[in-house]
Amino acid sequence: MGRKIIDIPLGSQHISLLEPIKFRFACENEKIVDVSSDVGFVHRGIEKACTTKFAYDAVPYVVARICGLCAITHSLAYTTAAESLLEGVVTRRAKYLRMLLVELDRIHSHMLCLSHTAENAGFEAMFMRIMGDRESVMDIQERITGNRVQFDYVSIGGVNRDITTDIEKEIRKTLAFIREKTHGYLEEFTTNWSLSLKFKGVGVLTLDEAYRYNAIGPLARAAGLATDVRSETDYLPYNEIGYEMRVGEGGDIYSRNIVRLFEILNSITMCENILGGLPEGEIQTKMKGKPTGEALVRLEAPRGELMYYIRGEGKAMLSRVRIKTPTFASIPAFIEVFKGSEYADAPAILASFDPCMSCTAK
Amino acid sequence: MDFSRYRKRSPWILHYNAGSCNGCDIEILAALSPRYDLERFGVLNSGNPKQSDIFLVTGPVTYRSRERLVELYNQMPEPKVVIALGSCTCTGGVFRGMYNVEDGIDRYIPVDVYIPGCAASPELIIDGVVQALDILEKKTKERENAKRLYSEPTTENGITDRSNSAQKIGTGGFSPEEMKPNSPERRENEED
Repeated sequence: MGRKIIDIPLGSQHISLLEPIKFRFACENEKIVDVSSDVGFVHRGIEKACTTKFAYDAVPYVVARICGLCAITHSLAYTTAAESLLEGVVTRRAKYLRMLLVELDRIHSHMLCLSHTAENAGFEAMFMRIMGDRESVMDIQERITGNRVQFDYVSIGGVNRDITTDIEKEIRKTLAFIREKTHGYLEEFTTNWSLSLKFKGVGVLTLDEAYRYNAIGPLARAAGLATDVRSETDYLPYNEIGYEMRVGEGGDIYSRNIVRLFEILNSITMCENILGGLPEGEIQTKMKGKPTGEALVRLEAPRGELMYYIRGEGKAMLSRVRIKTPTFASIPAFIEVFKGSEYADAPAILASFDPCMSCTAK
Repeated sequence: MDFSRYRKRSPWILHYNAGSCNGCDIEILAALSPRYDLERFGVLNSGNPKQSDIFLVTGPVTYRSRERLVELYNQMPEPKVVIALGSCTCTGGVFRGMYNVEDGIDRYIPVDVYIPGCAASPELIIDGVVQALDILEKKTKERENAKRLYSEPTTENGITDRSNSAQKIGTGGFSPEEMKPNSPERRENEED
């Protein structure tokens, strides 16, 4: 038998994939030797529409529709950039409420990713359990903002709704519930055979590779690379609410799961601290004028660094909006992980990356 | 064996993302999860078009996804029901008029149920799927009727005459007199 390389496509429509992404694996027996990817299936042209169809104060609600999972991070990154051009100052209460929603969003996004990883290990019951518990986070998001997924909570100048003591009480109750459940998952993900031993040593991204291929977010932190925009920027006062970076080791699927679980726990702590130290004040400040000049903002989305660049020339329409999304930046690292692993592991590895193609293609 | 009797009890869903923001896709997963439990209707989310009965589409149809959309639709066996899930799938929504967007799936495939909302909540998804089940049953019955009519041709003088059965199907149950334009019976029926 000679060495024969076979091309196997995965996607863009596939049973184990949620996202329209296409991979072509060149396989030698079961080993993947080369990968090519195609990500542009859901390209809609939002960047262009932000400069031609929508005025600058409508754009936060348009960019939220780039991605349903990190909608709040998208609109917040844009809003922060626009506010720096308008030279307005957002009240501390509005900043705290924004952080609260970003962290709640991170909790439910990570829970979704964990449930997918469990499903790809063949552990459907775990998938159902996590999805069932995730509903409680969706409930408090609905209570705070009025919608489950596409909550247009952030607007230029502040936030659109305030929270009351009733809602605060409910949030505290839910956070305590989620904390208890997350400790349960931690136990399950470290001791259960399907979720720990099976995932150890699969889909490894070494520290050196993470550094060289520009991995970001939980993918990089699982490999031991200490990178998190929350600790590097100061648009939002993360240092006041007990942010801690959790760095894993090993860089395999197991390590990514553990990093995500600890981030959920950290986010819960942060949410409780936000509620504990919520400053008094208005939630909206009036912003005058039209955006003039250019601004660049980086924020930590659930999947990694999200970058917005906007340029305005004193008109209602902006002249440029540029969005760099986390999954797009991580694709070289994805491809490096796939090389050398088994073809049968590919769906599980892909789920552990938590890719978001709607973000990537825009 | 005739499976049509069981079709309503276990419809399989094919979900395709034609350019949505993932919001509706995640709400589908939420609808399948224990809180809402869409699976109690026998619904199973399958990735295979050849085994599916309900085509659940999200997204405003991007330029590159339209070929795949039509291809998946064609691969599904009859009878099939198409659900457009979310505002952007119905009309284009916030994406309407963007350069790479085709403004809704009904430009390419016939749609039976429209579910509005951005993002559509799981309650609405369940409501839409339950409506789709009724449509699926109706379509199943229509197919059976057509088969029976076509399989009963009359034979006179050695010539097979299908005109009788074809007329019954083509006029939707009206008699030839009723089908004449401007006949009083027809007008009455239409007003009903």
